[in-house]
Amino acid sequence: MERHWEIVSTWVLILAATIAAWSLGAATLPVPDYFLPPPSAVLSAFVELIAKGMLPIFVAESLRRIVLAALLGLFVGVPIGLLLGVSRVTADFAYPVLNFFQSVSGIAWLPLMLIWFGFGERTILVAVNYTVLFPVIFNALLGIRSVPQIYVNALRTLGASRWRIVRDVLLPGALPNIAMGVRLGLAYGWRALIAAEMLVGANGLGFMIFNAQTFHLTARIMLGMGIIGALWVVLDYFLLRPLEEATIARWGMVQR
Amino acid sequence: MMHGWRGDLLAVGRGAAPFALILIAWALVTRANVLPAMFLPPPADVARTGWDMLKDGSLWTNIGASVGRVLVSLVISVPLAVGLGIFVGLRRRLSPVFEPIAGFFNSLSGIAWLPLAVTWFGLGWVSVIFIMFNTIFFLVFYNTLVGVRSVPRIFEHAVRTLGGSRRHIIFQVLIPGAMPNIVTGIRMSIGFGWRALIAAEMIATSTGLGFLIYNASNFHQTDTILVGIVTIGILWLLTDRLVLQPIERWTVERWGLVSSSR
Amino acid sequence: MTAKITIRGLGHEYVNPFTRERVVALDGVDLEVAEGEFLTVVGPSGCGKTTLLNVLAGLLPKTRGTVLLDGREVRGPGPDRGVVFQEFAIMPWRTVEKNIAHGLEIQSVPKEERSAIVRRFVELVGLRGFERKYPHELSGGMKQRVAVARTLAANPEVMLMDEPFASVDSQTRITLQEELNAIAQATRKTILFVTHNVEEAVFLGDRCCVLSGRPGRVKALVPVGIPRARRRWNLLMSDGTFDAAKEKVFGLVREEVGKEV
Ligand SMILES: Nc1ncnc2c1ncn2[C@@H]1O[C@H](COP(=O)(O)OP(=O)(O)OP(=O)(O)O)[C@@H](O)[C@H]1O
Ligand SMILES: [Mg+2]
Repeated sequence: MERHWEIVSTWVLILAATIAAWSLGAATLPVPDYFLPPPSAVLSAFVELIAKGMLPIFVAESLRRIVLAALLGLFVGVPIGLLLGVSRVTADFAYPVLNFFQSVSGIAWLPLMLIWFGFGERTILVAVNYTVLFPVIFNALLGIRSVPQIYVNALRTLGASRWRIVRDVLLPGALPNIAMGVRLGLAYGWRALIAAEMLVGANGLGFMIFNAQTFHLTARIMLGMGIIGALWVVLDYFLLRPLEEATIARWGMVQR
Repeated sequence: MMHGWRGDLLAVGRGAAPFALILIAWALVTRANVLPAMFLPPPADVARTGWDMLKDGSLWTNIGASVGRVLVSLVISVPLAVGLGIFVGLRRRLSPVFEPIAGFFNSLSGIAWLPLAVTWFGLGWVSVIFIMFNTIFFLVFYNTLVGVRSVPRIFEHAVRTLGGSRRHIIFQVLIPGAMPNIVTGIRMSIGFGWRALIAAEMIATSTGLGFLIYNASNFHQTDTILVGIVTIGILWLLTDRLVLQPIERWTVERWGLVSSSR
Repeated sequence: MTAKITIRGLGHEYVNPFTRERVVALDGVDLEVAEGEFLTVVGPSGCGKTTLLNVLAGLLPKTRGTVLLDGREVRGPGPDRGVVFQEFAIMPWRTVEKNIAHGLEIQSVPKEERSAIVRRFVELVGLRGFERKYPHELSGGMKQRVAVARTLAANPEVMLMDEPFASVDSQTRITLQEELNAIAQATRKTILFVTHNVEEAVFLGDRCCVLSGRPGRVKALVPVGIPRARRRWNLLMSDGTFDAAKEKVFGLVREEVGKEV
């Protein structure tokens, strides 16, 4: 408990020092105002964007897109990866292809998608979902293939059928990798989303900070960055952590 | 005796087969004339464009620009991040304070830095390196920090009971013990960094593979885009094979510790 | 007595898939295990005991020779042969009771009967109060007891056990050894039991099979003529037959270990 307070008070100290130094720098450094707006400007940008109703819309748009991609990853990507992984033959076949496609981020496909789907929502969605999907599929497959053989053997000597080995060993055994894949996929996807919104969008947080740059509204950029970082922390804390804690952490299989 | 190379050849063949199938499917689709060539040019056209770009050197220039940026950012960020990560990780009072801070900056890594980078440094190399630095540094720093902190105390105790000094503990326990995390951090940072690079090049520079494909899309040069995408994929696979896997093999796998994130 | 297991000229070679290096683990093993017999196997580390067990379990293909169970060639694993693995191999994602019930679930034993059996074996291996714990919350010895209970609960005809008591504390080991003896006496199961511990091998075995150093082959078979009912540690403390058999096996094993260094 005491340690806890120590940490929190250190944070408060660091935060206060940063704000003080930042304010001082903004007031005294010989640079244009837009170069380093003071913390108070970020706060007033926040109030202004809330009052105008823009910020809630941008946040909602970005969240809607990433949540959609998350659902697709979980309910389509994971099953595909598992199906491919269960058989040695399909796994061997799919592995190099998946490895290639997961290594090319959705953003690299964006120029092509612009031609295919035009400047708009469809392109953003395809790019983000692509980015999430491939790491998820790839890691689910990898997870199945990397379940220790000893567990499979143990079940075979108990007379288990093939289906039961899949259900009782391969699926739970693959969960650490699945969790990792979902996490990685969403982390990539979140960044791809921000980039896609910059390049394509007319709304969303990526658009907000990109657009702010053209008008030298640096306080707005900083505000947007803070929100992008905070949203990810929240997403991680409320979606990904609980998923892990319900399964692999309970089984003592987390390797973080 | 089986010859080693014959096995290798077989492995390469098996890895290439799926791609051959994709190529055939692609060729058939374009042959069937269901899509305009602007949407999807036949593979032969793309190969020809790729060959031309190799010959006139334009592909090499862009590869050089992208790879150069990755290398420069790695050289600047990784040693700094590992050094600071170990330094902070060793201090049991400091590290729990810095862990969540580094975690926060991780969640911000990548392209979100672009508008600020352009505001401060304008368009060009410096902005790209700044974005890459922020991506790579915090990932490696965070993982190193967590790695040092998660080395089981029992190893430290073992060395201490053998009469080891603090230096022994740092160099023979904490650094090797944190190695799997450090390697994971570097691997992740290259993955995130490379993706951030492509996005940043589209906006902030006029060289590099990201610029190449984005610019091509303005002129509807689908074949050039596909050349760029394939190049990006191949470069990543080469990085994985020639850099990341050897690093892992020489450190964590040799010790039987596995870091399996990809 | 009919032979439950017949092994003739059994050989096994491991081939490293990358370097193509070969390791001959077993070479020319001849062995017969009678129905209802308790055979213990000892031998220096790395001589191929685990390999022998895995071939019998049907988990490893043999390179040479024949392995018969009830006169039929062994092809792949089956519920007629239960295995207790050296590395436990209990599922990290199942609780203690779910792990013990696993074989019964596979045999579709009805739920009430299943939980009754599980309760009995939880009791037997002394894990009461830990039924709902996950393996990572157990000590090494407790995990091993879960593995033993899982195999016992599945009630196979033949039990193949690979150093099942190696990481159990000596107090628990004594209990488990006596329990296993009682089970062997009551069920007349055919048991192949691998161990490092000569005392344990002689205490449990009707016969004790000594393997030579790698490549493993049968060096000697030492009969232990002690009735099951007399096999209790307090009765054997100063038993001439027990001591003599122990001396003999010790001598044979020491010769093999001596050869290596
Ligand atoms: N998967 C494998 N690949 C290659 N060689 C192996 C493999 N498993 C075992 N060996 C080799 O085969 C030999 C016999 O191994 P085995 O595991 O059967 O020994 P063991 O008698 O059970 O030893 P211990 O008493 O230490 O458990 C050893 O020399 C070992 O190095
Ligand atoms: Mg063994």
